[in-house]
Amino acid sequence: MNKKALAALLTALPLATFSAPAFAADGECGSVTEAEMNWASAGVAAWVDKIILENGYGCDVTLVTGDTMPTFTSMNEKGEPDIAPELWVNAVKVALDKAVSEDRLVIAAEILKDGGEEGWWIPKYVADEHPDIKTVDDALKHPDLFPDPEEPSIGGVYNCPSGWNCQISTANRFKAHKAEEKGFKLVDTGSAAGLDGAIANAYESKKGWLGYYWAPTAILGKYPMVKLDAGVEGDKEAWDNCNSQADCVDPKPNAYPTSDVYTVVTKEFAENNAVAMDYLGKREWSNKTVGEFLAWQADNQGTNEDTAYYFLENYPDVWKAWLSDDVIKKVEDAL
Amino acid sequence: MASSCWGLPELLCEFPSLPNSTLRHMRMGIDDGFRGIVRAYSDQIDAATRPLQWFLNTLEHAFVDTPWFIIFALILVVVWFASRNVKIVLGSSMGLAFIGIFGLWEDTMTTLAMVTVATLIAIILGLPIGILMARSDRMQKILTPVLDVMQTMPSFVYLIPVVVIFGIGKVPGVIAVVIYAIPPMIRLTNLGIRLVDKEVIEAADAFGANPRQKLWGVQLPLSLPTIMAGVNQTIMMALAMVVVASMVGVGGLGKNVLQAINNQFFTIGFLNGFALVAIAIIFDRASQAFGKRLQKHSEAGHD
Repeated sequence: MNKKALAALLTALPLATFSAPAFAADGECGSVTEAEMNWASAGVAAWVDKIILENGYGCDVTLVTGDTMPTFTSMNEKGEPDIAPELWVNAVKVALDKAVSEDRLVIAAEILKDGGEEGWWIPKYVADEHPDIKTVDDALKHPDLFPDPEEPSIGGVYNCPSGWNCQISTANRFKAHKAEEKGFKLVDTGSAAGLDGAIANAYESKKGWLGYYWAPTAILGKYPMVKLDAGVEGDKEAWDNCNSQADCVDPKPNAYPTSDVYTVVTKEFAENNAVAMDYLGKREWSNKTVGEFLAWQADNQGTNEDTAYYFLENYPDVWKAWLSDDVIKKVEDAL
Repeated sequence: MASSCWGLPELLCEFPSLPNSTLRHMRMGIDDGFRGIVRAYSDQIDAATRPLQWFLNTLEHAFVDTPWFIIFALILVVVWFASRNVKIVLGSSMGLAFIGIFGLWEDTMTTLAMVTVATLIAIILGLPIGILMARSDRMQKILTPVLDVMQTMPSFVYLIPVVVIFGIGKVPGVIAVVIYAIPPMIRLTNLGIRLVDKEVIEAADAFGANPRQKLWGVQLPLSLPTIMAGVNQTIMMALAMVVVASMVGVGGLGKNVLQAINNQFFTIGFLNGFALVAIAIIFDRASQAFGKRLQKHSEAGHD
């Protein structure tokens, strides 16, 4: 080892040793781990929690990156992380019910007051140009307007990312509306990034686009889209038993039900952390609020942290309703 | 948390960075410019990628629609001619049988088509670039850091611009795979040519060979084993990248792996992973044996 490297190492060592204990000293609430889910609304929720729990309740919050299934599995099996801020329950309904009844997980609150909205969407410019397209069936009459990315001569319906539950429900809707006979193909988008990228790509070149998406999301804040009407009344029972199941033999057209979206915590956390649970139990916001701050985030390329601060600064009425007066004061001081 | 900094003033504690808003404007400026380019040239981009799209679709159809036993036999014949080694042929047939028995034949064919196209493109582009690099020290100085970036940049990052420019599907997937897999091809072509014995070159010069004759008659044949190692590396990297490329809608084994990750399907993940490993081993052993045979040949020439 040469002298320079040795010197660098010697200066780095005390940095590492001295900075570590400073974290542990924080107050009553102790250390909390929370999943920062990899979609925007949940990521911002995680940061809002972090800011409020750290400043208002003296917790020491560590955010870990998460996705629905890995996070849920890890919480269910290993009790780590403590909090999943925004879990779309439809994706894990059976397993979550079981975990709750067997006392492993606790549903803390319904974070999205209005629930999650899913469906098939088309870009607003297409909807404006073709006012006759209102329902899924209307759109399926025009394969030429929504070209498949690989074979532009036929139409394409962009599917939900691989492995998500909506992949099944979208495929079933595709089957139910006989889209294949109408000249369409189901397009595999691979991942949320692929799906988002496909929308961005269509928007930038003003091409047609038809596919699955959900709200509240940054994409819908940034690229205005119009949700197609299912054309039929929603039938929840048929949905649960057939439309959302992979082995559904003869799916019928159906409307996507509103999704329940919950904050879920581990049992251990719920028992040991009354103060934080009290806060999490009250934390909820509307799709309109979420859509607004996500649009701000998309327009400004804000990080989840930036957007959480933006939310705390601009929507005091929303978050002050969750907290007691002394906690509000502490959070305000920190902003 | 500021206390974690020995009580030093802010300036010494946190590295002075550009203000958040400046950084944000910079990022937005670059991204908007990039989007503007995409917007302006989207028709040309589409037209330029159409042949590639056609090639990919055709090859995939050929692989997937041909009866399995023909492809099976074809692969073994290729492996035989590359390696001339019964053990490798037997091992390959076991690997292919494993893939078929576990119901992964079709997905494997899709992946194989992708990897074949990506490897071909990487060779067609990489070989001349490597030759160029071997001939000019300046080129080498310029290209080496570029190759370093290509190999070190997290492969997910390539997917962002690729998707915005080309949309999703096989074409953007292949482009991302080629960017990731081409550096070893270039590096080892360069290295192989540079390692050719100086005396051999001098001899060629003495016989009055012109640069083209020297390249095709002396340098390339003598560096073939190294170049083959480059091809081998490129194939391996393309196979690894196929899983990542499935995030932008490339089908095949990668899609299943991704699905398995999202759903925590342990067995599916491993089966598909092993199918990838099986193809990788087949490619690796065959191309290495081929490279070795080339080497023997050239060594025999020396004596």
